[in-house]
Amino acid sequence: MKKVLNTVMATMVAGAFLLPTAALAETIKVGAILAVTGGASFLGAPEARTLEMLAEEINAKGGVKGNKIELIIKDSGGSPEKAISFAKQLIEEDKVFAIIGPSTTGETMKIKQIAEDGKTILLSCAAAEVIVNPVAKYVFKTPQKDSDAVKWIFEAMKEKKISKIAVLTGNDGFGSAGKAQLEAAAPEAGMQILASEVYDKGATDLSAVVAKLMANKEIQAVVNWSIVPAQGILAKNMRQAGWDVPLFQSHGFGNIKYVDASGAAAEGIIFPAGRLLAPELLAANNPQKAPLMKYKADYEAKFKEPVSTFGGHAYDAFKILCMAIESAGTDREKARTAIENIKGFAGTGGVFNFSATDHNGLAHDAFAMWTVKGGKFVPYGK
Amino acid sequence: MKRYLPLLALLAVVIFVQLLTGWTETGFYLTQLTMSAYYSLVIIGLCLLMGYAGQISLGHAGFFAIGGYTSAILTTHNLTPMKDQALVVLLAKVGCLVASKDEYGAELLVAQPWVACLLAVTAATLVALVLGGPVLKLKGHYLAMATLGFGTIIYRLVLATWLCGEADGISSVPPFQLLPGLTVSGGFGERISNYYIAWGLVVLFMVLLINLVHSRAGRALRAIHGAEDAANAMGVNTARFKLTIFVLSAAVAALAGVFLTHYNGGIGPSEAGIMKSVRYVAIVAVGGMASIWGALIMGTLLNFLSMRGVFGTYDDAVFGAILIIIMLFAPEGLLRLQLWPRLKELKKSWGGEK
Repeated sequence: MKKVLNTVMATMVAGAFLLPTAALAETIKVGAILAVTGGASFLGAPEARTLEMLAEEINAKGGVKGNKIELIIKDSGGSPEKAISFAKQLIEEDKVFAIIGPSTTGETMKIKQIAEDGKTILLSCAAAEVIVNPVAKYVFKTPQKDSDAVKWIFEAMKEKKISKIAVLTGNDGFGSAGKAQLEAAAPEAGMQILASEVYDKGATDLSAVVAKLMANKEIQAVVNWSIVPAQGILAKNMRQAGWDVPLFQSHGFGNIKYVDASGAAAEGIIFPAGRLLAPELLAANNPQKAPLMKYKADYEAKFKEPVSTFGGHAYDAFKILCMAIESAGTDREKARTAIENIKGFAGTGGVFNFSATDHNGLAHDAFAMWTVKGGKFVPYGK
Repeated sequence: MKRYLPLLALLAVVIFVQLLTGWTETGFYLTQLTMSAYYSLVIIGLCLLMGYAGQISLGHAGFFAIGGYTSAILTTHNLTPMKDQALVVLLAKVGCLVASKDEYGAELLVAQPWVACLLAVTAATLVALVLGGPVLKLKGHYLAMATLGFGTIIYRLVLATWLCGEADGISSVPPFQLLPGLTVSGGFGERISNYYIAWGLVVLFMVLLINLVHSRAGRALRAIHGAEDAANAMGVNTARFKLTIFVLSAAVAALAGVFLTHYNGGIGPSEAGIMKSVRYVAIVAVGGMASIWGALIMGTLLNFLSMRGVFGTYDDAVFGAILIIIMLFAPEGLLRLQLWPRLKELKKSWGGEK
């Protein structure tokens, strides 16, 4: 009897979730799948905050061409299976106009085909080039390319007459993608990678690795590619060990928290990043200056935390979507074509020039080289 | 016959839900119901191990991942560069490989999904055998810790292995054709058939489980759960029974992993994470340790809600909290919560204090 009762309960419970959903008129639904919690929350959290802020701002002004934006943010926690479930939900059920995110490459690659099948615009906030190369019709991405970051680092090294380097990477997706790019580009740039070490993304002490690398006297510089607090820890450990070779970091270093955490040891670190780090230093006629200054000021005033380049990726995605709706209206196909026709949009990642074959739209010069001076990010060299 | 009645009811519910979604044009619910069916498979397997054999495992996400990842690697790893090697030629001749073109026109030579599925389940079975032998000698917290260690190892291996795609996992896993016209795939057009594949698998496994529970083996298991030494003294080969159930539940977890990976078209390290294992254990506990029906109902319900994002940012916290609350207030499971006698007891004890 109890078993039968259990089964009856199952029926009732299943039935309760099958209520039809009502559609809202005159609003544009925009979905966002972001890793707000979990291991990639340093990406997803600022992205979600940025989107909330921008949607609020644009709705207060009456929306895009009179259409209010309804934002549906889903927290994937960085799990691909959730991203898949949410993507299908947003496309089929909420019938969203477009999806912003996911935050990580792994999740994006898993929902790329779903977006294509569902003919829904996907504006990814993840970095890897495979997302847009080869080009998929509905899939775009806003962060700069890893390979461009590598080029900038190697160019800066050449100027310093460095050719023998050690590579350190975190064991997460960002680190392994960077490691692959560094290894691929090194021979052409005339760089010799003498040692390559991978550390845990949660590492709290790297002095053993530093000691090991220090023993090799031929190493002229260290490149560290990760996105975690270990970036600052490495700088500290190198300083403690008295190792004074130049330390290069990836664009993952673009968060002032890491500088604060490593104090004096961070001085002199060289890394590529977008111009959002210090828009006030840009020339007055730079097209990026005004929008970046505004975003930085708004974000920091509203959330009481320093702006990061990651939130900027969501900023760019949202602005690009709004521009497309503005020029093409609420027809999804037309808006998709409109994104491909966007030229000269000055966002946080750089100046975007999309085309049918380039769904990233950023060139080599989207990055600039930065260094740390007096606890602040300042443009490097020259 | 009586014991199969709930099964018929389950079948009826499965069909009813599908018809209802078709009628109300809410077919999209089937996506998450299909996903939760696969997770429920893991959970009822674990329920057999925990509730009936009395052995805890905090490493079942590891077996799920072994299944999913093995199948994903075999069906996506392109063997074209090695196509002239003797072994690859032989495998292709016996029909273990399929040649095709990928979406960009490059040649693709990968394992047949059926072969991959068999290898994946075999791999998980072997790992469970090797692991189960020594580990099941442990009891209580020590067994929990050892299986937790196993889960952590699998998670770390997945994260560190290039073949497993490291932190990004594996994408573009092809559909799995079970029979002509019946394919495990996440395509928008194949939602209904996949719902039935998933639930058909659940029903099939429930039949197997119900028979097992009501057989001599099932009685032996309950004897082990009750008092392992006594069961041993009565001539039950406790070590062998425990191992068999451990291996069986691991194989089912791996099978669920294979199917869900093909359904999702990919797998990531989050499937191997510790939180996933904790979640499975929590759901078995909520369902009432030794109730496969409770485990099935709770497994479907909670996974359905989680996959729809109902718990939002608190997803993992919800499952952790569930485990704590159930252990404290309803160790017999939510469906067996005998609220009335408990309240009476409470009243009595308060009355006694006065």
